[in-house]
Amino acid sequence: MRLNDCDPGFKHEVAAEPGGAGIRACFACAACSARCPVGANRPAYDPRRIIRLTLLGRREEVLASPLIWLCSSCYSCGEVCPQQVRFTEVLTAIKNIAAREGHAPPSAKITAELLAKQGRLLEVTDFENDKRSGLGLPPVQQRPEDFQAILGLKPSEGEAGEEPR
Amino acid sequence: MTNAQLDTPVLILGGGVAGLAAAVDLARRGVAATLIEREPRLGGRASQFCCKATEACARCGACRLGELLAQAAQLPQITIYTAALAVAAQPQNDGWQVDLAPQPGGEIGPGAGRPLRERTTLNTQAVILAVGGGAFNPAGKTRFGHGRVQGVFSALELEAMLSQGALGPDGLAPAKVAFIQCVGSRDASLGRLWCSRVCCGYALRMGRVIRKLLPDSEVTFFHMDVQDYGRAWEDELPLMRHQMRFVRAMPGEVTAGDGGPQVTYALAGEQAQKEGFDLVVLSVGLGPPNGASALGELFGAAKDDDGFLTADGGPAGVFVAGAAAGPRSLNESIVHAGLAASAAAVRVASLTEARHG
Amino acid sequence: MAKLSLLWVDTPGLEDLDPALVAKAAGMALDQGGLLEAAVVTTSQEQAPAAVRQRLMGLPVAWLELAAEVGGGPEAHRLARAAVAVSRAAGRAAKGTLPPVYAPQPAQSVLVAGAGYSALAAAWEAAAMGHPVTLATPFDSVDQAGADDDPEAVSLLAAQLPAQVDLAPNSELTRLTGAAGGFNAWLSTNGDAPQTYGAVFLAPSGELVVGCEVDGLDPALCRPVSGLNPEDFAGPEDGWLHVAVLAGTAEAVPSYSFSAAMQAALALAERPKVQVSLLFSEARVAAPGGEKLFRDCREAGVLAVRVGPGKLEVRQGGRELAWADPLLGEELELAPAAIVLAEQATAARPAWLDNDLLVKPWDELVPDNPRLAGGRTSRTGLFITGALRGTSPGEARRDEAASAAAAMHQALTGKVVPMPAVRDNFCASCLTCVRTCPHGVPRYTVDHIQCAPAGCVACGACAAECPAEAIAPPSWGNPEMFSSLEWGLALAPEPKMVLFACAASGMPAVTSLSAQGHQWPAGLVIYPLVCAARMSQLLLLRALEMGAQRVLVAGCHPGNCRSITGNHKAMAKIASLSGELAALGLPTDALEFLPLASNQTRELASAVRAMAQKAGEE
Ligand SMILES: Cc1cc2nc3c(=O)[nH]c(=O)nc-3n(C[C@H](O)[C@H](O)[C@H](O)COP(=O)(O)OP(=O)(O)OC[C@H]3O[C@@H](n4cnc5c(N)ncnc54)[C@H](O)[C@@H]3O)c2cc1C
Ligand code: SF4
Ligand code: SF4
Ligand code: SF4
Ligand code: SF4
Ligand code: SF4
Ligand code: SF4
Repeated sequence: MRLNDCDPGFKHEVAAEPGGAGIRACFACAACSARCPVGANRPAYDPRRIIRLTLLGRREEVLASPLIWLCSSCYSCGEVCPQQVRFTEVLTAIKNIAAREGHAPPSAKITAELLAKQGRLLEVTDFENDKRSGLGLPPVQQRPEDFQAILGLKPSEGEAGEEPR
Repeated sequence: MTNAQLDTPVLILGGGVAGLAAAVDLARRGVAATLIEREPRLGGRASQFCCKATEACARCGACRLGELLAQAAQLPQITIYTAALAVAAQPQNDGWQVDLAPQPGGEIGPGAGRPLRERTTLNTQAVILAVGGGAFNPAGKTRFGHGRVQGVFSALELEAMLSQGALGPDGLAPAKVAFIQCVGSRDASLGRLWCSRVCCGYALRMGRVIRKLLPDSEVTFFHMDVQDYGRAWEDELPLMRHQMRFVRAMPGEVTAGDGGPQVTYALAGEQAQKEGFDLVVLSVGLGPPNGASALGELFGAAKDDDGFLTADGGPAGVFVAGAAAGPRSLNESIVHAGLAASAAAVRVASLTEARHG
Repeated sequence: MAKLSLLWVDTPGLEDLDPALVAKAAGMALDQGGLLEAAVVTTSQEQAPAAVRQRLMGLPVAWLELAAEVGGGPEAHRLARAAVAVSRAAGRAAKGTLPPVYAPQPAQSVLVAGAGYSALAAAWEAAAMGHPVTLATPFDSVDQAGADDDPEAVSLLAAQLPAQVDLAPNSELTRLTGAAGGFNAWLSTNGDAPQTYGAVFLAPSGELVVGCEVDGLDPALCRPVSGLNPEDFAGPEDGWLHVAVLAGTAEAVPSYSFSAAMQAALALAERPKVQVSLLFSEARVAAPGGEKLFRDCREAGVLAVRVGPGKLEVRQGGRELAWADPLLGEELELAPAAIVLAEQATAARPAWLDNDLLVKPWDELVPDNPRLAGGRTSRTGLFITGALRGTSPGEARRDEAASAAAAMHQALTGKVVPMPAVRDNFCASCLTCVRTCPHGVPRYTVDHIQCAPAGCVACGACAAECPAEAIAPPSWGNPEMFSSLEWGLALAPEPKMVLFACAASGMPAVTSLSAQGHQWPAGLVIYPLVCAARMSQLLLLRALEMGAQRVLVAGCHPGNCRSITGNHKAMAKIASLSGELAALGLPTDALEFLPLASNQTRELASAVRAMAQKAGEE
């Protein structure tokens, strides 16, 4: 692959995205790759490799890669990184760009739709609330409006509703 | 109780190679100096270091300490107190007045230096801070298991083991040894964004010594880059690549395995792996002197961005030599002390001239 | 023969020994404070009280570090060892140690030949210690900086140069003979007449050359780091301009060179739409601030590319670079608009330095030897600093000049150094000493051997090699050494052994072992040497002849000898003699060389133990 055909602006684009600022500091030491639990089970997944491709400016390849959606957000990589790259957040930045460009996998879309609809991934039904009252806990209210307001799908209702404690 | 009084043109703090070299260089220039060492014995770090020669001298510089100690013992211009600590210092017209307090320990033995026995007030025209650099405490990188996983040592411990013969045919005989480089260096997450300059050199040299002592052993060197140590080094490096296994990756962690420590690391294009070793050595780097802030308070010594002492921008008559001013090898520290000695000698000469002329 | 007395100076480690008993065992009188004819003193000359030194002036004296040679063990054992050591030393004093030949006053003037930061720093340092300095520069002014210098630092130093520095502009050193205290230097501006100087600094100004990069690059694309103007670079609105910075791809470059390349990369990366790729085999970040610079580069968007040494390929008539990216495991290519090449500082070696007849070969003159750091060379009084030596540009060169200057000042003003004594009537004018002296001291002038006044370190190489016993540093001639060995061995119990210990390695190890209470074998005679270079085949054979069953020579590791090859010479002699030993009915390992560092006490103790065991079994 010729570097001349890559997009050197990509790393700056990622760095400008919230969470992406650390990307350029990486010096390829591989500590993150050694600690990543996803990589331990799926060799093709390698944080350092994703960073390298991003730094090289292989924009399409990174954004379209199904691998970037595999991160479990365990933060192990950030914990060991000597350059404070904070890869978990860098990857979120990359995923945001990918999603904007229509690369989000169906699972991510479903997750997003559930969130928008319910304000949480799991729908709260009578089953959960019955269990909770059995334990003496107050019921959880399903208030997707707040979340939708955050997402800009609905106008804010002014005062935020009271969160169950 | 009044303190004993002492006048000396130059006071040197620290009896490592840099402090001793500063004293010797001052004597060579005809200037007398008093050197104080906090510990009961002279030598600083180098007194724990092993000789790293195999077929030939590896130019590690450790034996230059012996040379300096012998010279210091012979030069009449040099006065040395061990077990002595500067506890107070006031600037005065022509220099400094420094209070010294004796510290516990210290025996009279052959060679240079006698323990300080009583509180002493010392008047001096110049001060050279040669207090050395702090070695990184590997406990600061818990994931590498020092103090927790058996078989994990810091390079300082390995130096002592090799010089005492605790490792080799008559002692511990590990079949597989790993060095992990840059521990506490090149690390923004620790606020230590500098290369320590010495650890690639000492690690590979000690690796080679281990291979010589235990020819069947295997030595692995986990690193990012190998630094430079002069002309002969570049010629030896290709050879060392045959004698030892160079792995360009920083391990993620060191854990306790069945037979010994296990190192987790990832090679490009391969799944991360755990490999067992008998001995894991953490190549700890050099940092600012441990007592930098105390010295800053005593002498108003200036510090650079990383916390190392510097003569630039500090008070007049305070100079810095050796690893206290930044990571330096033994030989570099000795040569660096030459400049501090020069500056102190020039100051002493000009003050003397001003007083008499 | 002069009457010998034992002059007892109490030193740590001797407190419990009875001086009278030692003197009696060694067959000598104990000094009672009266008149002395010849003496053995129980401590080294440097550590003896001034009054003692005063009393002994002009007498045959053998100084002895008695505590070190005695070591530990039960009192009777120590007493016997003390007697052996005293007797060994007495043998030397009995021969009437050659009185030191006091050299003519060493010349105090200093020649600095060169230009730029290193030369100015040397001139400044020498002048600060009161030496008259001549600064011979090939340029017409002093503030001319080398290509590798910081011009500001140079002009600052030039402005501070004291008045006693005598400037010799447009002048070059063309030939040099002699050593410390007595150099003869030929300057191009002085015609045929040499000038005398006490010390010489050689510090030619540096040049920057591109080294260690690949062949076959299109020269039209290439420029060195120092010739770079970042302003020339800007990418197109709708694309990127690619620039490659090669910083040690064929072979890693020194860290100062890597730092300069990073500076260039950073300046380029800050230009609009310029993508810089920094290619190297090792990121040499050890220079001060190097790691920060490395991070700044990456933050600015510089792509750091590690390629295996020599793994960078050049294609398309030198316009395209290709490498197997170790991180991705695939080939990458780059067609850069420009290629910036890292440079290293060098200085042209003056032609006269390559004349092996006049000067040692370069590798012996400026070896990579820890004892010759800080500008020192094996020729005492000659300092080679800066780019010619390969010292990094910047502050390291200032340190080097200061350290060298202190050594220079001591050599020229320190206590009088005894010159080797040359007995002209014995001398065969074979010039062996001229060739063997590692420090350039003896020189053949008109009809005899003349020694430089402040250059001799008493290594004894000349004495070991001279076929006519005509030259030796005071107290290191064959007669004194032979009788010293004989007296020592005569008193030592069986099995008799000799340990010749070099002052830089073996002897400090002996001293620290003794200080720890180490018990030496009873029959071991410890014989301190200044350098293993003093070992001659004759000395080794005489030791065996006088009854030693084994001889061990403890000298420095190869590459760590202050006299460069003293250890090699001893090793070679032992190796060649060992082949002959069987014919003499002696074990083939009766003579051994032990390479040692001063801190290797354990190694020395076990070598002596092994020797004693073998000797005991015979
Ligand atoms: C594991 C390790 C291995 C190394 N191996 C090598 C090697 O092989 N080769 C090499 O060239 N370099 C090596 N180094 C680097 C080497 O340690 C330094 O170059 C060297 O110690 C610097 O000498 P120094 O005199 O400046 O400091 P030090 O050796 O640290 O000496 C400082 C002295 O000052 C004393 N002191 C401190 N504070 C005070 C005070 N307030 N008052 C009085 N005295 C004080 C200390 O007790 C000490 O004796 C190694 C470093 C480490 C950490
Ligand atoms: S946060 Fe993601 S990339 Fe980082 S270690 Fe965990 S799974 Fe791997
Ligand atoms: S640990 Fe940090 S610096 Fe190292 S490869 Fe991973 S992200 Fe890069
Ligand atoms: S410099 Fe180091 S390797 Fe060389 S002899 Fe001395 S201690 Fe040994
Ligand atoms: S010298 Fe080597 S091990 Fe030490 S910090 Fe620098 S690169 Fe790392
Ligand atoms: S080696 Fe001896 S004989 Fe030969 S020139 Fe020198 S002093 Fe004369
Ligand atoms: S003793 Fe050594 S330094 Fe002195 S003249 Fe002889 S060979 Fe040269």
